[in-house]
Amino acid sequence: MRRMLTGLLFICCCTVFSAATPAQVEAAANQPVNISVFLQAPDPPLQMGDLPVFKGEVTNHGSSVLKSLVVYLSLVSLQPGQEHPVDLEDWSAQKAIRIDQLAPGQTIFQEWKMRLIKSGSFGAALTIVNPASDQPQISPLALFDINPKPTVLAGRILPVAVGIPLLLAGLFFLIWRSRR
Amino acid sequence: MSKVATVAFKECREDVFAVRGMGLYLTASLVLSAFGLLLVGNTELSLLDNAQAVYMMAGIILALAALIAVVRGSDGFAGERDRETLEALLISPASGEDLALGKLTALMVSWLLLYLLAVPYLWAVGSAGQNLSAALLYLFLAGTILMTIFGALVLSLSARVKSFKSAMSAGLILFLFAAAPVALGPSLRQSFIGRVLDWLNPFAVAMNMLDAVIIDSQTGPGRQLLPLMILAGYVAVAVWILWLSSRRIEL
Repeated sequence: MRRMLTGLLFICCCTVFSAATPAQVEAAANQPVNISVFLQAPDPPLQMGDLPVFKGEVTNHGSSVLKSLVVYLSLVSLQPGQEHPVDLEDWSAQKAIRIDQLAPGQTIFQEWKMRLIKSGSFGAALTIVNPASDQPQISPLALFDINPKPTVLAGRILPVAVGIPLLLAGLFFLIWRSRR
Repeated sequence: MSKVATVAFKECREDVFAVRGMGLYLTASLVLSAFGLLLVGNTELSLLDNAQAVYMMAGIILALAALIAVVRGSDGFAGERDRETLEALLISPASGEDLALGKLTALMVSWLLLYLLAVPYLWAVGSAGQNLSAALLYLFLAGTILMTIFGALVLSLSARVKSFKSAMSAGLILFLFAAAPVALGPSLRQSFIGRVLDWLNPFAVAMNMLDAVIIDSQTGPGRQLLPLMILAGYVAVAVWILWLSSRRIEL
């Protein structure tokens, strides 16, 4: 429930921050919503280090051709107590694509690869910006969990990181003593 | 024993297995240990994928190898000149080419020791991830090639300049030229000019090859033929320059 509320809050924020003047908002409110967007999260289980594909779908339900649409991916951490937007650059994701034109009734499928570098609960959403409208469209939040994976094992690194310099220092000392 | 082997053995005894050489390996192991401890202790770094950690460590190892090549290579002829021991070498039956090849062979022994020292670190960091064996193989190839290129170029400088300091300065400038573009990161090197500069820089070619192998899993036979061929070309040029420089070594 808390995750859903955070997701809703995220979507609201995305909408509010699409800076529009009151006149434009009024004009946009009169326009029918003619684009639908949907994002599908990859099938679980997902683990840190995986490189899954998120599938997006954009459909033009209107009667006119839509031109120069920009579709971009947003990611938010929904981990209780750590809710925050995530910088996608760290996740090596392709962030935005441009759709030159979308004919009436046409659906475009697009894939986003993401390297999962952190465990926890996350939500991803697609936002479409149509230059002809001041009302961006946002997909429902695709929720997914990433299982932790032991990447760097302290139990392996510490003995090597401490042992080898000590071994070399001992050898160093022995050589130095034998040459005196 | 051939003259080249005799020179190489002398170099190893004086540098590689001496207290001076051990100090260099101790420093190298401390650098690798510090990186390993950073990986464990830093929450951001500990989130890295194993392959990414192995790639970063491989980069550090290659930089250390190039630095060892610069330090030892500068000392090769210019250090002997400073210590006034070059004359004794020149009147020995070994020709200039024999001396150069022997010193280059000793540099390879230094690289082999550094590589053996680095293997446990790479295992500790990357054994839970993918492509570790490919990483070890390609790191060995890349390190051998870079050591030959840097070693041959700095040895040829060392044969020409009058003092160890001058050879070392020139060698370090060469090292900085090679390493600086790599430090800029991949995003700045995506442009046409960035790619051309990458192909002109053997260090960048080696790093890009390791990136492809370790992170992108391009380990199939022949996948890295182009970078290996380009690096082989640089090796041929560097060894040719060393051969030219060592034909007439002056006091």
